[in-house]
Amino acid sequence: MTDPRHPSRLSSITRRAAVGAIAGGAALAAFWPRAPRSRRTIPSGRVVLRYWEKWTGPEGEAIQRVVDRYNESQDRAWVQRVPVADPMSKAMVAVGGGDPPDVLGLFSYNVAQFAEARAAMSLDEFASRPGAIDPSIYKPAVARMLSHQGRPWAGVNTCYTLALYCNRAILAGIGADPARLPRTIGELDALAERLNERDGAGKLSRVGFLPNLPSWWPYFWPIMFGGSLYDAARDRATVASDECIRAYEWIGRCAARISPAAAGAFANSYARSFHSPEDPFISGHAAMIVQGPWLANFIRHYNPSLDYAAVPVPLSPDVPDPDQPRGMLEADVLMIPRGCPHPEESFAFLSFMQSQEVQEQLAGEHCKSSPMARVSEAFMRTHANRSVAVHDAITASPRVEVLPQTRAWKPYADLLIGAFDEVWSGGDAAAIMTRVQSRAQAILDRASDLRKRREGAPA
Amino acid sequence: MKRPPFLVALPWILPWAIGFVAFLAVPIAMSLWYSFNDYSLLEPAAFVGLENYKELAGDPLFWRVTRNTLFYGLASSGLSVVMSLLIAALLETRVRGTSLVRAIVFIPVLVPAVSGAVSWLWLYNPRFGLINSALSKLGVDGPDWLGSTAWAMPSFIVMGLWVIGSSVLVYSAALRDVPRTLYESASIDGVGRLGRFRHVTLPMVSPAILFNGVMSLIWSLQLFAPPHLMTRGGPEETTYTYSMYVYNNAFIYGRMGYASALAWLQILVTLALTLIVLAVGRRFVYYRAA
Amino acid sequence: MSDERRQHGDDQRAGLGPRVGPRLGAWTSLAVIGFLYAVPLVWGFLVSLKSSAQAAAPGLGVLPRFEGEGGEPSLFSVAYWSRFFEQAAANYHGVWTSPIADFPLYLRNSLLVAVLSVLGTLVSSSIVAYGFSRLAWRGRDAVFTLVLATMMVPQAVVIAPSYLLFRELGWIGTFAPLWAPAWFSGASSVFMLRQFFLTIPRELDEAARIDGCSHVGVFVRVILPLSRPALAAVGLFQFVGSWNDFLGPLVFLNHQEQYTLQLGLANYYAQHGGTPWNLVMAFSTLVILPVLLLFLMTRRRFVEGVATQGLKE
Repeated sequence: MTDPRHPSRLSSITRRAAVGAIAGGAALAAFWPRAPRSRRTIPSGRVVLRYWEKWTGPEGEAIQRVVDRYNESQDRAWVQRVPVADPMSKAMVAVGGGDPPDVLGLFSYNVAQFAEARAAMSLDEFASRPGAIDPSIYKPAVARMLSHQGRPWAGVNTCYTLALYCNRAILAGIGADPARLPRTIGELDALAERLNERDGAGKLSRVGFLPNLPSWWPYFWPIMFGGSLYDAARDRATVASDECIRAYEWIGRCAARISPAAAGAFANSYARSFHSPEDPFISGHAAMIVQGPWLANFIRHYNPSLDYAAVPVPLSPDVPDPDQPRGMLEADVLMIPRGCPHPEESFAFLSFMQSQEVQEQLAGEHCKSSPMARVSEAFMRTHANRSVAVHDAITASPRVEVLPQTRAWKPYADLLIGAFDEVWSGGDAAAIMTRVQSRAQAILDRASDLRKRREGAPA
Repeated sequence: MKRPPFLVALPWILPWAIGFVAFLAVPIAMSLWYSFNDYSLLEPAAFVGLENYKELAGDPLFWRVTRNTLFYGLASSGLSVVMSLLIAALLETRVRGTSLVRAIVFIPVLVPAVSGAVSWLWLYNPRFGLINSALSKLGVDGPDWLGSTAWAMPSFIVMGLWVIGSSVLVYSAALRDVPRTLYESASIDGVGRLGRFRHVTLPMVSPAILFNGVMSLIWSLQLFAPPHLMTRGGPEETTYTYSMYVYNNAFIYGRMGYASALAWLQILVTLALTLIVLAVGRRFVYYRAA
Repeated sequence: MSDERRQHGDDQRAGLGPRVGPRLGAWTSLAVIGFLYAVPLVWGFLVSLKSSAQAAAPGLGVLPRFEGEGGEPSLFSVAYWSRFFEQAAANYHGVWTSPIADFPLYLRNSLLVAVLSVLGTLVSSSIVAYGFSRLAWRGRDAVFTLVLATMMVPQAVVIAPSYLLFRELGWIGTFAPLWAPAWFSGASSVFMLRQFFLTIPRELDEAARIDGCSHVGVFVRVILPLSRPALAAVGLFQFVGSWNDFLGPLVFLNHQEQYTLQLGLANYYAQHGGTPWNLVMAFSTLVILPVLLLFLMTRRRFVEGVATQGLKE
């Protein structure tokens, strides 16, 4: 049997024995029963709820603390938090494949998609259960976000808005008044220009403000010009409206003032260092930045002496009702997938999560403002973000926007990522947004077609 | 009584036949059906006729990912043919250490896509990656490889050239099959080194080149894991590939019908390329086996 | 011209090997190629030994560095190497016991899928290959062309369609989509085994048949025992293919406790909130290691297998 070309019969045999032993070991290991680490501590006799959540790290631990509290508070169900990196896609595949978890931690923009497809259970199906949720406990925009076509579909699991964070020491350093932060786009531009700084070699070493730092919200900017991405009443994509085009033209100008390549390279060099000691704002390389409330948490950890303050994003002078702060409200939500093994227990857990006290604990640990209508004085007073009132006011503002509540939002948003980059490198905003709008409208039309057909069809 | 040969053979080939029908023919047929439907995975499908195909024609992103994918496929399979032939030829020279280099060149083929992606992500990192660290020692300020529209796709092409070990082996085998007498008689006729490569080696290994070239084109047109893991298609959609668009539509946007139409076009293109491989490769494959 | 002639004369005497000059050139090129091809993995491994701060710092430092009270410990000191191994062990232990990735469980899952696939493909593909090599029937060549054609269909093309099928079968969220198809033979395995069976002299089965063996007898007593090398190669290829599969688990598995190592690594690296590069590289090294060891132990089988068939990515 031994290959005659092989130099040594013996080594061939021992090698074969080794391979055989490894194969045997692998086979043994493959069929060795092994309980997942996460399941070993579950007390017996409980209904185990699988709760998919995207957060890991400190935010995940904060959620786990609330989950632990729930698990201790009753002896019927045991919630097992499972970190999932891509929860929306996984949820769709799992629900579509008939293998859903019990509780889904998703994003607010998923509500429309899962609601329209009836992939989640409407919470009004639990209206007669103990712990039924009254939407008036939320701030109005939060309640709006959790419902779709007049029915509630989700519970909230913290929310956030964006604000302009300013490094007051840097402002004072150039002789600007650190108490008078920009309120209009003109003021923002002028101040940003003065704050740019170059090193001896002419390389950008500090920026005043850049809208691609970070580049996570390419759809945010129309708000500053009073624009909106979507007209829900007519189901139209409106990103080619005058206001939106002006917003993206402004982004092109922001890039052009420094040069798209230099400003892009500056932002890219920080692309993976946000929320670390090298974060451009925390390390003083960006004097102003549009960010969420959690920024304060990282400031506290990495540069506690940083003197910051936040204001609502500056607005174009012609927007109506300029005294009301504007912003985009987004939230993490909890949904109960249709076909999940334990809907009653899932709802009980979801309901537990909707108390003012639990949301304040979570919002405090995630360093966000509270989604609830009533906010305790202690929450505001002890919050790690000294500007939490700004975020709270934006969240409560009648002018706050929520993301387009349509199942077509995700592909629409992905189109805007590419469009933002194109505008940044000098593309014609009107042409680009017209193209995006027509493509987005095509996707919206297909979605509404489907909806009409579904509603027209006998139940 | 002798049974007809086909019935004797049937039980033997049955596993393949069942697998072929169940795991290839049926899914492909199902996806053809769903390509005429609106289907979100989460709710029953609704028949829409040719809507999905009509939508494709007017979808700029469809054309964009098609262009990107063709560019990657042609560039990467073309370069991989040149590169692997070169390496195979070098490995045929009689110098010490060829077997070590052969192994090193082959190993990336075995490296899982995810591991390859994290390794290269790290090499390409603009701030602390090996490539830019090395460049800065030379006084060059390296670009943000995966973050710039100009460099992102070339970076993936270079990464693809890292995984050519199997075609190197096929070329090595083909090179060794070239009869030495041909070289000898060419030498006697006074043909130079390059001339011998041009007039003896290339014609002799050309079936292998064609076979391997088209195979590598088929495979590179499916590029998915590296851009999915490393750039998510950005910047400015320059690394957005066709397979990613199928995946995103099917499993993220909830548009399985549209994804099925996309997948069907991909299947047709693959089928056409496969027929080419069979036409040119069959002879080669059998010749190798003989 | 006469120079040229002399050169070729030299070549003739040295067989095919070129003269010293080009030989040095070839050696240098090969060294450079070997270096370039080794760098991504070797560097990844080196990063896995560093601290997270050093892993995310620019520079070409090959080995980990340690700040001590009395300056940096020398490379030749016991202190350096004790800290070196301490840190390396801490990184790998960190991966093995990570709270966000159940590495031992993923390993079990990967092995389960790979072992079932290897068994399945060995059993089914050898049967099918017998049908294509030892039995003469009408249409055999046409059907075999179909086998060849399916060999070339990449997974990414059929992944969305396959999801539709497995959904109907209720297999989503189970391991079945990852291993069950292997039990219905893989095209490339059939191809490799058929090519090998064809090299086994017919006289052997004729002799067995005269002794009263049926096809089953010939298959089990003659063909299979003689085909161990080919079966080993097929098994190896299937193992590597299953082990490295990313798209399949990505689409078909739902729950974290089912993740295979590939999916676990992708999830580990993409976790919400920063990537500790040294740990990602340690995870990645552990994922590559089994395949690498298998390759090093069975290099010749791999090379022969690839040369007859070509390995898909």
